[in-house]
Amino acid sequence: MKKFFKRFLRDKRAITPVLSHLLLTVVAVAIMSLATSATFVITTNLRQTMGERVVVEDVWFNSSAGTVDVFMRNVGKADVQVSGVYVNHVGQSFNGNASRLQVNKQGWLSIACSWEAGKAYYIDIVTNRGTHIADYYKAP
Amino acid sequence: MQTITRLLKREKRGISTVIVVMLSLVLIVMIVGNVVLWSYQMNQVDLERTQETLTLANVTRTEPTGISMDIKNTGAISLHIVAVWVTNSTMHQRYDADVFLNAGESTTYNRTDIEVPQNAFLAKVVTERGNLAVFSES
Repeated sequence: MKKFFKRFLRDKRAITPVLSHLLLTVVAVAIMSLATSATFVITTNLRQTMGERVVVEDVWFNSSAGTVDVFMRNVGKADVQVSGVYVNHVGQSFNGNASRLQVNKQGWLSIACSWEAGKAYYIDIVTNRGTHIADYYKAP
Repeated sequence: MQTITRLLKREKRGISTVIVVMLSLVLIVMIVGNVVLWSYQMNQVDLERTQETLTLANVTRTEPTGISMDIKNTGAISLHIVAVWVTNSTMHQRYDADVFLNAGESTTYNRTDIEVPQNAFLAKVVTERGNLAVFSES
């Protein structure tokens, strides 16, 4: 056994091919794991984007608060985050617990914008993945 | 046939290309399969939502407090009502509900804890899939 080891350590032939094969294997494994992770990330993002479904249950033109309150429910298969709200194509500030909605959860989104009774408003709520929840609502 | 097999066994060139193509194909099949499957599932969800229809035929106040609603499932699939809304110009109140209706079935849903305004109001029922039925009482 000792003899074998001594011979193995002394013999320097064919070291380069072994090293090159080893390096090639490491590089191949690294690239494949990178490609697999990229695949996972891409498909997860696509699935989440396709799985976004939000319904507007109620819109309240709140005269006491001077806001437009929208009650939303997440009926999709991915969590939703509101990134922008447009009233008649003009960006508005918003707050409320509906700005982040988990699956099957609901809440109010309060939009700070002035409104007039009897007028119709085009309210467009945009999520961070680009889904639009938009419709016309008439102030009472 | 034997000659071809022998040639293939001897010829070592282009093996890495074949392996790379095979691995790439596996990755592409994984991505496409995943997306197509998910798309099919979401299409099913959308289809079910469009097939679901319901009507709120009548809403009456009950004495001393509460509400009575006649709900009919006019669609071809069963539905689950998860919320009731009572709104007017000064208040928009949501109440959780839990009513299942089979296809074509009707029910009278009574709630004593719901406050109904004395003047005009709007009542809504919301299903789990996100569809609404509205009744206006003037």
